[in-house]
Amino acid sequence: MTFRELNSKMVEATVAPGQRLFSQRGAMLAYRGEVSFTPNMSGGQGGIMSMIGRRVANEATPLMTVEGSGTVLFGHGGHHVQVISLAGDTLYVEADRLLAFEGTLEQGTMFMGSQGGVMGMVRGQVTGQGLFTTTLKGHGAVAVMAHGGVIELPITPQRPVHVDPQAYVAHHGDVRNKLSTALGWRDMVGRGSGEAFQLELSGNGAVYVQASEEKL
Amino acid sequence: MFRLQGSKVLAVEMTGDAVKAKNGSMVAYDGQMAFKKLSGGGEGIRGMVTRRITGEQMTVMEVRGQGTCWFADRASEINLVGLQGDKLFVESSNLLATDGGLRTGTSFTGLRGASQGNGLFTTTVEGHGQAAITSDGPAVVLRVSPQFPLSVDPGAYIAHQGNLRQSFQSGVTFRTLMGEGGGEAFQIRFEGDGLVYVQPSERNTIAGDV
Repeated sequence: MTFRELNSKMVEATVAPGQRLFSQRGAMLAYRGEVSFTPNMSGGQGGIMSMIGRRVANEATPLMTVEGSGTVLFGHGGHHVQVISLAGDTLYVEADRLLAFEGTLEQGTMFMGSQGGVMGMVRGQVTGQGLFTTTLKGHGAVAVMAHGGVIELPITPQRPVHVDPQAYVAHHGDVRNKLSTALGWRDMVGRGSGEAFQLELSGNGAVYVQASEEKL
Repeated sequence: MFRLQGSKVLAVEMTGDAVKAKNGSMVAYDGQMAFKKLSGGGEGIRGMVTRRITGEQMTVMEVRGQGTCWFADRASEINLVGLQGDKLFVESSNLLATDGGLRTGTSFTGLRGASQGNGLFTTTVEGHGQAAITSDGPAVVLRVSPQFPLSVDPGAYIAHQGNLRQSFQSGVTFRTLMGEGGGEAFQIRFEGDGLVYVQPSERNTIAGDV
């Protein structure tokens, strides 16, 4: 694992020659050794086409490339940091929650409407997360940010999980997500419990939920 | 059935029963859950009248279902409190969830509330079961016995339970009025037998500025 959690808000990454990391620009706290930080005009990997994709998708949080030989400390805004390891599966996360990830992972964007149809598109509007989300695929580790601590909830076909859209951080695995509601029509008419909409995640994988309903 | 997952997330296992929780505090659930809005200050007409008068208007929801429901509130720390027929006094903003069987109401706090900027009334929780209260930073539980009374900064106080009398203590002197006070002009004094929950942070209070 390239990332080591120093405390709940800082991770230490090891960089070796020939390997590279991507991190959110400005998230470096300290480093040791010979390490270079290059602002990434295209906001990630994959060349010009994927850059345009990200711009259109509004998932273009400025990233930088970290290369060299040494260790780097990352942290940002006093947010809680969670390290997630991927073994060939795909992580779905909002771009602004990405703190750092290994260069071995393939970055992309996904149109939320392609899952759950119209409700998938409504989901983006309700959660204020837009219509696209960032995906990371392959083998490697990712450090994501959250407000407060993070809990990991397993998802199995027998055990779908419903998550408050504001508390949702990321999910990985073979998971379908759609917007659901736990209200009857009576409750829709002005008697809200404050829990009108949830993301329903079903399939096989895990979802990460933060201990807060505040956006970063 | 109340369980802490880390220090900031409350997991509640439910088998057809209900809990009351702060509106909007659900972060995730599995199984089948239904959410219904209630209002604080006790049930029925009397509760409604008390709410109107006291201004202790917490909005509460009833969560009923089968499965696990997770609650959290703005990344604040969560403390579990067990009640065996006694009464818990807590600021409504610090009450996250209670067992469905516990009764909630309001009680007069006198001058203390005014000094805290939290109004003259506080929320009470009574019965047998568990309650979850939030604090800004990990809270400490301080025991009060007849030999050892306790004085607490109004801004750091979050809750108390047991057979306690509380009074308002003021160290306002001529120096305070001249603006040379020690910054600790007011305290709440607890006497009797019980527990007081104190957080390592001070809310902004009127008293805090003196």
